[in-house]
Amino acid sequence: MKQLLATVLTVCTFSYVLSAVNIPEEEVGNGRYSIEGKVFPPEDLELGPWQVDTRIHVNGGEYIGFIRGDGTFVIHNVPSGSYVVEIIHPDYMYEPVRVEINSKGKFRARKVNYIQTSQVIQVPYPLRLKALSKFRYFQVREQWRLTDFLFNPMVIMMILPLLFIMILPKMMNDPETKEDLKQISNLAKMSEMPEMSEMFTSLFSGGAANKASAAKAKQVKKRQ
Amino acid sequence: MRLNTKTLINLSVCIYEDQIGKFDWRQTYVGRIKFSQFDTVSTAKKIIVATEENVLAALNLKTGQVVWRHVFESASTGNIQLLAITDKVVTVSGSNPYLVRGWDSATGVLQWEWSLSLENDEQADFSEWWVQNDLLIHMLPVFGSHLEVSMYHLASGQNRGYTSKLPASWTRESTCVLTPPYYTCISGERGSENLISMDVTSQAVQLITRPLSEYVNVETYDGGIGAVDGSSVIPAFTVDDKKIIMIKNNKFEMLTTNVGDALASVALIDMANGPVVLQAWMDDNQGFTMTAHSVATGAELPELRVTDRNLKIPDPEVSSAVCTKSNREQLVCRVLISSGDDSVHLMQQGGRVLWSREEALANVVAVEFVELPVSDLDAAIESEFDQKEGSIWAAFSRRLQTQFTQLQTLVQSIQRGEGLEEDAPSALVRDYFGLHKIIVLVTDVGKIFGMDNLSGAILWQYYEADLDTEGVVVFTRRTARHPPHDAYLTVVGKQEGTGNGLIISLNPITGTLIGERLLKLDVQLLQCTLLHRPDNEKLHALILLDKEENVQVLPRSAAPLVENMFMYVAERNTARVQGYALVFNGQQVEAIRTWLVQLGGSAGAGHRIVVALGKAPGERVHSPGRVLPDRSVLYKYVNPNLVLFLTEGPDPLHKDIVVATCVDAASGAIVAAQSHRRARALPHAVHTEHYLAYLYYNDKHRRTEIATLELYEGKTRWLPAGAAFSSLSSERAPSVERQAFILSGAPTAAATTVTERSLTDKHVLLALSSGAVVEVPWVYLEARRGGAGEDGVVLPAHAPELPLGGDARLNYNRTLARPAHIHAAPAGLESTSLVLTTGLDLFYTRVAPSKTFDLLKDDFDYYLITVVLAGLILATYSTKYFASRKMLKQAWK
Repeated sequence: MKQLLATVLTVCTFSYVLSAVNIPEEEVGNGRYSIEGKVFPPEDLELGPWQVDTRIHVNGGEYIGFIRGDGTFVIHNVPSGSYVVEIIHPDYMYEPVRVEINSKGKFRARKVNYIQTSQVIQVPYPLRLKALSKFRYFQVREQWRLTDFLFNPMVIMMILPLLFIMILPKMMNDPETKEDLKQISNLAKMSEMPEMSEMFTSLFSGGAANKASAAKAKQVKKRQ
Repeated sequence: MRLNTKTLINLSVCIYEDQIGKFDWRQTYVGRIKFSQFDTVSTAKKIIVATEENVLAALNLKTGQVVWRHVFESASTGNIQLLAITDKVVTVSGSNPYLVRGWDSATGVLQWEWSLSLENDEQADFSEWWVQNDLLIHMLPVFGSHLEVSMYHLASGQNRGYTSKLPASWTRESTCVLTPPYYTCISGERGSENLISMDVTSQAVQLITRPLSEYVNVETYDGGIGAVDGSSVIPAFTVDDKKIIMIKNNKFEMLTTNVGDALASVALIDMANGPVVLQAWMDDNQGFTMTAHSVATGAELPELRVTDRNLKIPDPEVSSAVCTKSNREQLVCRVLISSGDDSVHLMQQGGRVLWSREEALANVVAVEFVELPVSDLDAAIESEFDQKEGSIWAAFSRRLQTQFTQLQTLVQSIQRGEGLEEDAPSALVRDYFGLHKIIVLVTDVGKIFGMDNLSGAILWQYYEADLDTEGVVVFTRRTARHPPHDAYLTVVGKQEGTGNGLIISLNPITGTLIGERLLKLDVQLLQCTLLHRPDNEKLHALILLDKEENVQVLPRSAAPLVENMFMYVAERNTARVQGYALVFNGQQVEAIRTWLVQLGGSAGAGHRIVVALGKAPGERVHSPGRVLPDRSVLYKYVNPNLVLFLTEGPDPLHKDIVVATCVDAASGAIVAAQSHRRARALPHAVHTEHYLAYLYYNDKHRRTEIATLELYEGKTRWLPAGAAFSSLSSERAPSVERQAFILSGAPTAAATTVTERSLTDKHVLLALSSGAVVEVPWVYLEARRGGAGEDGVVLPAHAPELPLGGDARLNYNRTLARPAHIHAAPAGLESTSLVLTTGLDLFYTRVAPSKTFDLLKDDFDYYLITVVLAGLILATYSTKYFASRKMLKQAWK
């Protein structure tokens, strides 16, 4: 079979032209209007001129506004139409607002809803824009913490039996506990079939007598 | 029952906070300098610049770094007309209506702004602005008639009450110059011209008139009149590019200093002991030359003279200069020189360049990632395996030799490692993972840069003033994988002025010209491509189709290799696409017209092509199909010749329509099409493997949407496995899955990640006008979203809007100004793709769409592993010892 290998490359006569998103021509009137508003800085922002880092883009940069020292901004020379006003801050998120200017120069500001474009939730004009939240850019690295490790059920399952194995024999060496155990064994010897309740009461009374050892008390509780 | 909660698709792509700057960098640029002024008033010394890119910025005087920067609109509404520094930085921007703004020079915060619109809109482009005594003066010449002068209060914009009309019938277009507050023209009949000047701010109209013959020879004169460069303090201008005339006490005064060179840039600066004429030009023999003469005496100031043969500053222009006297009565000068190649240099007296900025990089038009060659040692090892002949002893001795050299370099590197630290630039050799590459950037001004991708440092630069980079293409014709041949890169552009083809071939590693070197064709080019088959020097030939439909093959010897080649030429404005077949007829290659497609209906329908996008050459497709939940396979339609055309045009019913057409460029067959009503196309699309995505603005709903097309052959293969795809023998049309999603931002560029073998997932990269570069996994764009994937994978639920959250942002809070293009290239590691975003800023990072499955995590704790291993070994031996002792004790019992 004749292999048909065709190579076609890109057109060199093309260069990409960046076109800003323009508003439809029919809505452009002759009058020029100004969009006004005020941006409130994020509250927990460290000191510094936040106004320099913050930009106001109208329709994705078709008009650009800058913020004055007090947070107010004006976007001049905007023909009537519908505009999305975005506040761009590198660290904080602001909600965009759609501003509509009709041919008579009346302003209406509403929430941007790209999905239900006909839904109108009005917001006050002149715009007052507050930071919504901080952008979450980064993943949080999982850190190794002792508590996480210890409270892991697998670890608890391993550690507890280990405690019993390692510590109980040590307790056996303790003379007081030995005494207790002896008593128990004596009791057991005295009555061949001791009742459980009897055994426990004797143990408790013995435990109460030796308040000094807290570890022992715990041990008793565990046995319960 | 099988649990359906297992997801293989990990959709979080963001990095950890401690990885900031680890494998990404950002370089901020401002563009070619239009105006500049030193701000020596405030404590932190700065240079305030306004640029052709509509950027206002403050540069640190010591380092040249950007202190603050404001990016205005890229359209004419952002054009900066004036930069003046009073106690505030004053700018006038826009083109009727104008905006006057005042900025705080230390912080860059806006202080006041007001708008100004002129009634006379046609003449508005001739407006001249300047600031004088806290007044903004606007002058509008109506040539041959009068001058309109208006004064405004600088901070409030209040007009001082009137616009004065000064009669000036002597004004002529293009022979006038403004040297505030004087407006000067050369007027009169040829041979008896007069030099007429007027102070436009004075109350009384007072003309200064002298015959031109007093200053220059009117017979030979043709240089015209020009203002001196830089922010002059004294009204002065040059006549005929030879003489400098200044206006003093309402009189012309010719300086005794002549202009040193016809192309010299002349500036007048104020110094402690009187004003000085500063001139800078590029001398053919002496290199960069700068001279300074005192205005009063005409004597040269030797301490300011510079001649430097090694300094290459084409077409230097003194943008601004400042001189002060230091404590020890020495002149301390800072001269900002902007150059024809868009670079900026800050020079001090004596010619030492304090810093340079390559502002050409603010306008990158083409990018190519180039592989680095292997080190000499690795090359020697590889060549060892190539040599098959020779006895076993010869091979053994070679083995020993290479091993010895390896040992030597190891010892050397250890010795060197003790001496110097990481300051030394890493050698330009391929690293183990293939992450180190050279980025070749072609800029709008015609300067080509070679950049280290890891550090962003410029390795070499090549400036060709004759290169017109409109529609420029870059081809890697030979990679560095073929020693002893060098890597070979070719830039195909146009010549300035004529539009004829211009070909620059260079070695991308060193930046030196090789092969065809600089080749100026005497014909305009229509289309160019690379021959897919290399010749015996491993070089891919360049195939050029010129305006007369002749084909040139470079090098000529490769012409017999042309076989089964197809080309297309698309006309942007008429949406006509012409296909060609290239055939070698024994002597030369001919282009035969094969097919013609008129996109968007008839020829007069007014459609125009917004995007024409084929597949990347040499693209690999890893899996030929997709596994469906029922275990059957849906085969992809992978046609290497498929080209996506996005056209837009008027429609009688729906205003504007956007049509996406997939055309097989070898046969001319239309494979799939999709139209969108009441929409306008955006020039961004992606096209890889079997899927395509493109962007358009939906006028009806006033939102940007991204539409995707996926092409499938169906559940059976059309061709047997392994057979090459043939465009000419496939009659069937693929089935198309379509979907469109809403984007909540305004995209400015789109691309997909590219990996070595295409095993890794593909993610779509979008740059938004807000300055973010977001990574969108392809699963979010798939038509089957919301359904079940193969093998229990749960796909993201269907939602009309694409998530573009903070965690999808590759450049976190490093916002980019005007991102324009995204370029992705594969790394040697399969998991990783290298991404460069160009625009006003450059941002480089690397992304791993399926996570770095072939690399240890970078937070891998080598220390812990070592400690644990060491501990275990220690424990083993100690327990062995104790066990033996116990055994001994027991034996004694």
